Amino acid sequence: MTFMGFVLSAVAVAAALGVVFNRNPLYSAFCLIVNLLAMAGLYSVLNAHFLAVTQVVVYAGAIMVLVLFVLMLLNLKAESGRKLGIFRTLIAAIIAGSVVTTVYPSVSANFEQLSIHALQENAWRSEGTVKAVGEEIYGRYIRQFELSSLVLLIGIVGAVMLSKRKHSTIGPREGGLGGMK
Amino acid sequence: MSSVVSYVGLSLVLFAIGAVGVCIRRNAIVVFMCIEMMLNAVNLAFVAFSKLQGNLDGQVAVFFVMVIAAAESAIGLAIIIALFRNNVSVETTDAAQLKW
Repeated sequence: MTFMGFVLSAVAVAAALGVVFNRNPLYSAFCLIVNLLAMAGLYSVLNAHFLAVTQVVVYAGAIMVLVLFVLMLLNLKAESGRKLGIFRTLIAAIIAGSVVTTVYPSVSANFEQLSIHALQENAWRSEGTVKAVGEEIYGRYIRQFELSSLVLLIGIVGAVMLSKRKHSTIGPREGGLGGMK
Repeated sequence: MSSVVSYVGLSLVLFAIGAVGVCIRRNAIVVFMCIEMMLNAVNLAFVAFSKLQGNLDGQVAVFFVMVIAAAESAIGLAIIIALFRNNVSVETTDAAQLKW
């Protein structure tokens, strides 16, 4: 890992911890923006230039604007200081521990067998410029690309349908906590 | 070689942090952000493997994951707004009922 990769990794992990452990959701969102930008830097360290730009535009731009918009629309306060249930903490620790301890040894063990020479031979072909990635997407992956436009259309229709106010499929609860017009 | 393994390790660490966040946080928007972070961790692994393999299939997969994530964020935030409208908080513990 290069020096730049190391710095960006440290920033990404620190920002990820900030997302999880900040009480205020707004600070979590800003930490997530830092995390996503650091990931964009890591993509460009790994020669995926097109994905780095897409990451900044789509994730750090569009999706985070949407998240911040919803946060400010809902006007949330910081999470109350109720202490964590021991059960939840236990489940979280088990999941995190099992992910790291099961996947990492198998991955590193399998890579021991690959020759460094073959990797260096392959390295230049994975330069993810706009031209190279575009040729892949519009060539071999054209059907999947067309289907992804359908997915986005379904996403738009679903979002409009869910957040429609009148005649919504999910109406306000009668006599419950709701009643917001 | 070791470089790619370390990127996969970073990806695992970020995925684990996101999974912990999904488990221990109660605010639905923060849970949503942690899911986005887990998607990003997997994307990093895809890019690292793409560099290892020397072809662009992994990067194309990341592109499609980003498309899915964009659609997912639109629908997820709409669901969170619907949840807030029905149930004036977005805490996941307050949304324990399946129907109302």
